[in-house]
Amino acid sequence: MFKRAYRHLQGHPRLALLLVAVLLAILPFLTSGLLGNSWVRMLDLALLYVLLALGLNIVVGYAGLLDLGYIAFYALGAYFYAWLASPHFGLHLPFWVILPLGTAFAAAFGLLLGAPTLRLRGDYLAIVTLGFGEIIRIFMNNLDAPINLTNGPQGMDLIDPVSIGGLAFSGTQTIFGINFPAIHLYYYLFLAFTLLAIGIAYRLQHSRIGRAWAAIREDEIAAAATGINTRNIKLLAFAMGATFGGLAGGLFASFQGFISPDSFNLMESILILCMIVLGGMGHIPGVIVGALLLTVLPEALRYIGDLQRLWLGEVIVDAANLRMLIFGLALVLMMLYRPAGLWPSRQRQRELVAEGEVALHEQETLVDARR
Amino acid sequence: MMKSSAFTPPHPPPCLPLQGEGWGGDGVVHAKPLLTLDAVGKRFGGLTALDGVSLQVNAGTIYGLIGPNGAGKTTLFNCMTGLYSLSSGRILLDGLAIHGLKPHAIVQRGFARTFQNIRLFANMTALENVMVGRHPRTHTGILGAVLRTPAARREEAEIRATAHGLLARVGLQHHARALAGHLPYGAQRRLEIARALATEPAILALDEPVAGMNPSERRDMADLFVRLRGESQLTLLLIEHDVKLVMGLCDRVAVLDYGRLIAEGTPTTVQRDPAVIAAYLGVGHSA
Repeated sequence: MFKRAYRHLQGHPRLALLLVAVLLAILPFLTSGLLGNSWVRMLDLALLYVLLALGLNIVVGYAGLLDLGYIAFYALGAYFYAWLASPHFGLHLPFWVILPLGTAFAAAFGLLLGAPTLRLRGDYLAIVTLGFGEIIRIFMNNLDAPINLTNGPQGMDLIDPVSIGGLAFSGTQTIFGINFPAIHLYYYLFLAFTLLAIGIAYRLQHSRIGRAWAAIREDEIAAAATGINTRNIKLLAFAMGATFGGLAGGLFASFQGFISPDSFNLMESILILCMIVLGGMGHIPGVIVGALLLTVLPEALRYIGDLQRLWLGEVIVDAANLRMLIFGLALVLMMLYRPAGLWPSRQRQRELVAEGEVALHEQETLVDARR
Repeated sequence: MMKSSAFTPPHPPPCLPLQGEGWGGDGVVHAKPLLTLDAVGKRFGGLTALDGVSLQVNAGTIYGLIGPNGAGKTTLFNCMTGLYSLSSGRILLDGLAIHGLKPHAIVQRGFARTFQNIRLFANMTALENVMVGRHPRTHTGILGAVLRTPAARREEAEIRATAHGLLARVGLQHHARALAGHLPYGAQRRLEIARALATEPAILALDEPVAGMNPSERRDMADLFVRLRGESQLTLLLIEHDVKLVMGLCDRVAVLDYGRLIAEGTPTTVQRDPAVIAAYLGVGHSA
């Protein structure tokens, strides 16, 4: 039945689009009705991770630059927002002023990170970016003296919620007689930004710039010999990735109302990298699936404790331990059986899966060459 | 980057080997060569790969660069295209210094190349490979790409159309959607040429373009080179081992041996040059 419905929808893309739109529109209400408001919160966070994954995907997936410090841009965006919209400095600028500035701020740091690392590739680049991520976190941790910029490990709180045209995203707001809790409003805001980010990423990928990124990923020397200014194009990838990160960071700060350096540790960088590797590097639908899965899965696995109580009558293994074990195992199995990701682009699939074929092909080429 | 252009001489430097006929092989002495190498030297540590190579390539010629294995031909290509920096000497393209420029800037000036071990973007389609080649001649940036401005869309259409045209020109019009890495060997060589042509070069350097091809494929390639020169006034620089092909195709030939230029001139002169014969047949050594 599902198959038939799917086929039918394939023939009617407009209908499919309408269905998806309706589903996305009612999703927070469905979720809060079925699973409770904590899951709507999860949904909001998942959308932020989609944003982050889309940004990192530009750097890693498109340009092939392994960045292990991506979370730094998220942190910079978040702190930037907190500086301009919290009692810390007594500034309360509206979010539509802060967000563009914050993304530009993060992009500037993207260039700052990119510039000295341009000569590096692969493992070396990964280590340097990892260092960058840690430096930013440690700065945030220690910049409470001599001038208190970040409030140190305590973090910054009382960050203003988003407010659009007098509609503050706090408490429950009634619009057209429907009650919207703040987390629902944030869902729609994040969804809008995510859709925008998808559009931007898609258009970049299928443009002159996107082709240049792919060329650099495939063969940097050939790319340079084809007239691509590899330095600028790589910097552009870093800056674009940082832009997405900074945007997500600003949204995160306003959503949480509180940020601290703990939220921006190395594990987060690695988690986002996992999302795009798991989902399918360089492929937008794959990246989205990866981000959603890796946000939702660890939360869903919290229910293992309840399951044990239900089936076995008691909790034998602590859910907190077991869920990370299962999570790790799932990652390992995924990489073993779907090395190109859950939903890879055709190109990536070829790069990874066809290695055996490539060897064969090279042999053929050699045979050709001997003729 | 532009600093060296101040040293552009009004006339070719006098230190060139002038044996053989006049420039261009047609007896006419052209005032301005397209490409001038002036005492180009390249050392890797203690090894001298190129030792004071000077030569001139005139516009619209097919210029052959031959020499035994390890003579420094590919090193010379890498020096000319900015992959290596020179240890000494100068390289001028159309009177402007290009040594010291980044590879992409040299392409921008109109000097394209192919590689001895084909370097295509193997996981992109043939069409995409050629489209990448349009990069230095197009301008769409982040904003244009994201907003899909009319100018960006026009440019994208132009890139696509030009790429299709170039594929047709090298005889790959039916392989546009095939993966570059899956193309047969000869087609890969042609595709690399199409990609280089997409950058609108004034001079195209081909590193062993017919290596590993059978005689009929070689003839096709030679035809292509002649056609390219005729249709678009392209200057071709050719590294090749196939002496017969070089002699039949090239207007002028330079012979490298152990990083030195041992002969330069029309194919017939070079062929009779005792130094060349010695280098190739190993006169003085037991064969």
